[in-house]
Amino acid sequence: MIDMNPSTNSKAPAELGQSFGKTSGSKFDRKARLRWSNQLFRMICIGSALFVCLVLLCILVLMLRTGVLTFSNVSLTEFFFSTNWDPENEHYGALTFILGTLALTSLTMLISIPISVIIAVFLAEMTPKWLRNLLRPVLDLLVGIPSVVYGFLGLTLLIPWLRNLSGHDLADGLLAASIVLTIMVLPTISRISDDAISAVPNKYRDAAYALGANRFQTVFRVVLPAARSGIMYAVILGMARAIGETMAVVMVIGNTAQLPNSLFTPTAVLTSNIVMQISSVEFDSTWNYGLYMMGFILLAISLLMIVAVRILQKKGGRYS
Amino acid sequence: MKKWMKSLTAVMVAVSLIGGASSAVEAKSNLKGNIVINGSSALLPFTLQAASEFKKENPKVKISASAAGSITGPQSVRKGIADIGAVDWDASKNVPGFNKFDGLVANPVAVTVFTAVANPNVGVNSLTTKQLQDIFSGKVTNWKEVGGSDAKIVVVNRKFGSGTRVNFQQKALDGKEFMNKGDNYKEVGSSGDMKTTIETTPNAIGYIDLPYVTSKMKALSINGVAPTEKNVLNGSYKVWGIGYYMTKGQPTGATKAFIEYIQSSKFQNGSLKKLKFIPLSAVK
Repeated sequence: MIDMNPSTNSKAPAELGQSFGKTSGSKFDRKARLRWSNQLFRMICIGSALFVCLVLLCILVLMLRTGVLTFSNVSLTEFFFSTNWDPENEHYGALTFILGTLALTSLTMLISIPISVIIAVFLAEMTPKWLRNLLRPVLDLLVGIPSVVYGFLGLTLLIPWLRNLSGHDLADGLLAASIVLTIMVLPTISRISDDAISAVPNKYRDAAYALGANRFQTVFRVVLPAARSGIMYAVILGMARAIGETMAVVMVIGNTAQLPNSLFTPTAVLTSNIVMQISSVEFDSTWNYGLYMMGFILLAISLLMIVAVRILQKKGGRYS
Repeated sequence: MKKWMKSLTAVMVAVSLIGGASSAVEAKSNLKGNIVINGSSALLPFTLQAASEFKKENPKVKISASAAGSITGPQSVRKGIADIGAVDWDASKNVPGFNKFDGLVANPVAVTVFTAVANPNVGVNSLTTKQLQDIFSGKVTNWKEVGGSDAKIVVVNRKFGSGTRVNFQQKALDGKEFMNKGDNYKEVGSSGDMKTTIETTPNAIGYIDLPYVTSKMKALSINGVAPTEKNVLNGSYKVWGIGYYMTKGQPTGATKAFIEYIQSSKFQNGSLKKLKFIPLSAVK
């Protein structure tokens, strides 16, 4: 009976520790194969991760290296603090576009965050099930609509309407662009927020109701704070789309390099100016380098905003 | 293991069969190739028309045409992105504002007539050169100053690099500078954008080439002369230019055949004329 044990042990080589412990003598046995395939898979994973970082680094370096050439002809202060962008006459002030991008993104977020959170609350907390099952796919489809379609609708429907409403002769500008962008990012933000709100455990709601809270208090004091990090994530995604959006913006912003004195004055942002001009400029010109620099600034702004939101999210996380 | 080997072999056999088949057809067809055209949006209407006709005759030739303003044409040819760069001026020579492109050959293809256009709600039908200069430089800002009703003028300009802009500035404004700022000023990227903007913006003025003029906008006479083919041919209307296809060196193969097709009298006096361009032979 006792001498049975060693033989049963040797018949169970499938256990990892057991099989690793012994070698059959051949060079390419199970142990070696396992180690080799594990190593290979690890290398592929590390390689993929490094590749992504490398791509990001390459883009940053390329944009910066080409962009920095601007400053051999233009002073830093002119580029960053002058609003006079007139490259045909050697004026390269990009402040208008930088401020434009910041203003456009903030305005878009200002309009879209409240609306999309309310949509998400409505979807997750109040809708009957059949309507929810109808609305969710609709929102998913909205995410997939190409931006040029939004831009075209903005140009042909929104702008004439804004023109009548505001009394301006030309309603292209920040407001038109931010409304178009809002419509574009609404589905993204509300759909992801909706998922985040739905993921809040029901016991939170039950507890709130048990303490005598009404529905409004439950949603705004308990459910939304609990879903905060998911909503923040949705906002980051929406913001990233808003900052980088080009086609829709270029059709409704007016493309004029001037600081707007109202929301209805034609102006330009980083993306719209780059796409309007990059194909028209000579390869080795200050103008071209200036556009690359603007691309780099755009990248830097979006990275900074994402980092800022992450920090905010961490700070907020402590209270939830 | 064996299964995917089998399917792989099947795919390889299929590919080699198709390849063999296509090379057999290729021997029969005299022309094959890929033509990429970029550049002037003013010339795009006849480029598209010619491309569809040419493809019917030579089904093996692929043509893709797009437009983002004249200067993009020679630039993408020089960078090797496009085979043909459509441009509204002779880009192998220096013109005001643009250096010549060395090594590119200019093939004249059509005569383009440019015109000032306005939204139909504008009550003005003709402007003098001086009035146009004042409007496009921002000196005159109300239609009543040029004989229209009391409404602010919305100026729509093409972006830098547009051939329509170059021609209009040189020939309609006598080289006078455009404005570049203002509440009622905007720039658009192509002739198509210009068309949409003029059609949908009350009190707007802009400029475009004749093929784009629709019933939803009005072509303005300059100094009392209407922008028509007749007035160009009798020399009274000056705002026109020759459109060129720029190629890297002399064109060859499918590109050469395509350019020759456009230059042929059949296309020049047929489709080209129908689109409101003027045949090259008519003005020479």
